[in-house]
Amino acid sequence: MPRHSHAYSNGHAYGPSNTFSISPHRFQPRTQPALRWRRKILFRICSISTLAAVILLLIFPSFRQVLLPSLGLSALLRDDPMISTVKHYDLSNVQGTARGWEKDERILMCVPLRDAEVHLPMFFSHLRNFTYPHRLIDLAFLVSDSKDHTLTLLKKQLEKVQADPDPLQPFGEISVIEKDFGQKVQQDVENRHGFAAQAGRRKTMAQARNWLLSATLRPYHSWVYWRDADVETAPPTILEDLMRHNKDVIVPNVWRPLPDWLGGEQPYDLNSWQESETALALAETLDEDAVIVEGYAEYATWRPHLAYLRDPYGDPDVEMEIDGVGGVSILAKARVFRAGVHFPAFSFERHAETEGFGKMAKRMKFSVVGLPHYTIWHLYEPSADDLKHMERMEEERLEKEAREKEELERQRRVTESWQDKKGEWEQDKKEIQNKALEKSRRERGERKPLGGSEQGPHAHAGEEEAESKKGSGESNAEANGMDAVGDV
Amino acid sequence: MARPLRRSSPITLILALVLFLGFIIFLLSPSNPVPSIPQSKIASSSSTRTSPNSPPPVIHYYLNNLTTSDDPIGNREKVLVLTPVARFYDEYWQNLLKLNYPRDLIELGFIVPKTREGNAALAKLDDAVRRVQTGSKKNRFSGVTIIRQDFDTPVPQNEKERHARPAQKERRGAMSRARNSLLYTTLGTETAWVLWLDADIIETPHTLIQDLASHDKAVIVPNCYQRYTEKGKEKVRPYDFNSWHDSETALAMAEKMGPDEIILEGYHEMATYRSLMAYERTEGDPHHLTELDGVGGTALLVKAEVHRDGAMFPPFPFYNLIETEGFAKMARRLGHQPYGLPNYLVYHYNE
Repeated sequence: MPRHSHAYSNGHAYGPSNTFSISPHRFQPRTQPALRWRRKILFRICSISTLAAVILLLIFPSFRQVLLPSLGLSALLRDDPMISTVKHYDLSNVQGTARGWEKDERILMCVPLRDAEVHLPMFFSHLRNFTYPHRLIDLAFLVSDSKDHTLTLLKKQLEKVQADPDPLQPFGEISVIEKDFGQKVQQDVENRHGFAAQAGRRKTMAQARNWLLSATLRPYHSWVYWRDADVETAPPTILEDLMRHNKDVIVPNVWRPLPDWLGGEQPYDLNSWQESETALALAETLDEDAVIVEGYAEYATWRPHLAYLRDPYGDPDVEMEIDGVGGVSILAKARVFRAGVHFPAFSFERHAETEGFGKMAKRMKFSVVGLPHYTIWHLYEPSADDLKHMERMEEERLEKEAREKEELERQRRVTESWQDKKGEWEQDKKEIQNKALEKSRRERGERKPLGGSEQGPHAHAGEEEAESKKGSGESNAEANGMDAVGDV
Repeated sequence: MARPLRRSSPITLILALVLFLGFIIFLLSPSNPVPSIPQSKIASSSSTRTSPNSPPPVIHYYLNNLTTSDDPIGNREKVLVLTPVARFYDEYWQNLLKLNYPRDLIELGFIVPKTREGNAALAKLDDAVRRVQTGSKKNRFSGVTIIRQDFDTPVPQNEKERHARPAQKERRGAMSRARNSLLYTTLGTETAWVLWLDADIIETPHTLIQDLASHDKAVIVPNCYQRYTEKGKEKVRPYDFNSWHDSETALAMAEKMGPDEIILEGYHEMATYRSLMAYERTEGDPHHLTELDGVGGTALLVKAEVHRDGAMFPPFPFYNLIETEGFAKMARRLGHQPYGLPNYLVYHYNE
C-alpha cells in the first residue's frame, strides 16, 4: 500500500485542509548530483591508478620492490632483522643485466694463482684501475702448490688496498683460499706448454677453478669474472665493456707482445674457437679420456680461432659465436655457474677446463661469445726455445762486438804503422839532408865562409838537437827535420 | 567543486594522474647510486674507519685442513643439508629436527620454486624455521639459507603427471638446475659434507648423518622405501629406483641412443635389466655396502670435495643419464665411486 496515501513523505499528515503545501510530495533526483559525480570520478581515478600500477609493474621490475611490500606480498621474502642466521635470497634479482654498475650488481672475481709472486704487483696495478665500482667486486683467490711467496705478498697487497685512504679503492669481500692439489707437473713455460703434459695439467687447473668457484659463489652474485694474474695490458673498463654485450659467457681476444726479432706480436690464447667438422670427427676417433688441446700438430682441428681473426683496426664490439673459451679473462653470468656449468676436470666431449666449460655452457643452451677485435695483452714469457735463441743472439752480438773492436784496433794499428814509416822516411830524408848540409858546410869552411852568419848557428843548433834525440821523439825529429829542410 | 571537475576533460585527468604517479615513484623508488660514482655511500664510511661500513677484511681459508672422515662429530665437520622444496610436509621438518647430529655443525639450504604452491610451502617453511631459530640458542642451526629459484618448473608436481615419461626429461632437467643452483650458492668454505634430503622424506634413523658418514665414502645413498597400509596392515615397498648397478642391456641401449635421449628406470617400454638397489634389501646387516653406478637423490650423502671437483647434477643428458643418475656418472668420471646401503632404510611420504 502506498505510503503517501495517508501521509506525505515529509511527515505532514495527509489532511483535507487546503493548506500551503510544497508539491510534489515525492523524491525527485536532481539531474546531476555532485555526489554521484564525485563517486564516478573516484571510481575512475581508482581504476586508472590500478591500471597504471599494473603497467608500471610490467615495465619496471624495480618498481615491484617498491610496490609489493606496501601491499604486504613480499613479507615472505624479507629477512627478519632479528634472526641473523636465516637468509632469504631471490635468484631472479641476480640475473645480470647489460648495465650492472647502475643496478648494484655484484661481481665475483676469481683468480687462480700458482707461483705468481712476480706477477702480483702488475696484477694489483690493474685491479686498482678497474672502473667498475670496487665495492661491488668480491675477490676470490686460490693459491695452490706455490713454492714462492705468492701468499704472503698477496695478503700484504690486499690489506694495503683495503686500507687505502681513497674511499673508492677498497673492494667487497675478499677470500684467499689455500689448497694444494699435488701438482705433478712442473709449471715452467716449457713443461706447461708441452703436448704430453697438457691433458693432466688442464685437469688439475680445472679442479682448482672449480674449488675456487664452488667455495666462494654466493646467492647475491650476478656475475663471475675469471682473470689470470699474468695479463700485461687490459683496458680498465674491461668489466663494463664485456658486460655491455649482455651475454652469458663472453671473452676478449688475447694476444701477447713479442720482441722485434719474433715479429712484434702474436696470438696467445688459442682456446677460444668455433667447432669444426674436422674436430668433431677427430673427437669421435679418440679415447674417452683423451683431451683435445689446441695449437699442437698432433691434433689438427682446422677450427676458426678467435685469436687469428683479429683486425687491429676492427670494431671492438663485433661478436663471434664460439664453442671453446680461453681462461685468461672470462666474464660470465653467475646463473651459468648456478645452473651447473663448471670447468670439467675430466674429459667432457674430449675437452677439459675452459674449453670444456665453453662446450658445457653451449650444451645447456647458454650464449658463448668472443670479441675478435677487442684485445688484451698477455705477458710475454720467453720459452726455452726463445731463451736458447736469445742466448744465441746474445752470443752473436758479443761476437760481433768483439769483431768490431778488433777491426778498430787493426785500423788504428795500420794508421800507426803508416805514420811510423813516414817518420822513418822523414828521418832518413833529414839525415840525408843533414849530411848534405854538413858536407856543403865543410866545403864552405875549407873555402872560407861567405857571411852566412845568422842561419848557420840556428841550423847547427837544430842539428845538435836532432843528434841528441836520435831515435826517441819522432815528432821532435820530424819538426827538426822540417826546420832543417826549411833551412836549406 | 563539482563544476570544475565536470568541465575538465578525461585527458586532463589522466595527465594529472600520470604526473601524480610519477611523483609517487620518484618518492618511493630506492635511490640508485649514480653510475660508477658511488661516492656518497662510501665517503661516509671512510671518515669513520671503525664503523660497520668500513671495507671488509681479507679472510684466509685453509682448505688443506678441511677433513671428511668417518668420525664427523669428533672432527667437528660441518654438514650442509640441502632440500629442494616443492611442498612442505610437517613430518619432514619433525624428522629433520630429530636428527641428533650437533645443530651448530648443521647448515640448512632450501630452494623454493616461484609458483603458488611454492609460495605456500615457503610460508610454512619460513614459519617452521623461525620457530627453531628464535628458540633456545643450543637448538638453533648454524645457518639457514632460503632461495627462490629463478626459472620455472615445467610440470605441476602431482604424483600422476610427475611420472609421465615424456615429461620426465624436462622435469628432471629443471630439478637438476634447482639442485645445482642451491648447491653452488650455499656450499661454503667450511662445508665438509653435503646431505641431500628431499622434502618428502618423512622418516629416517636419527643418526642418519653419522651412520652414512661412518663408511667414509665419497658418495653414499641409503635405500628409499615407502610405508603403506594394505587391508589394515602396515607394509613397506621400494620407492626410489634410481640407485642401480649398470647392465649390459642398458649400456647397449645407450650406445644406440642419440646424445639427447635419456634412459629412465621403471618404465615397461624401456626395460634396462639393471639390478636395482631397491630390490636388494634383506633383513641383514644395515651397514652392508654395495657399489653403485646410478644413485637416487631422495637421501644422499656426498663429500663436499666431490661437488667441489665439479660433480653436479647434469640438467642435460650426460651419457644418456640425467639428474642424480648423471651425477653418479660424473662423480665416477672424476674418480669418486658411489656406494649404496641396501638394508639401511629411509621412508618417502605416501600421497
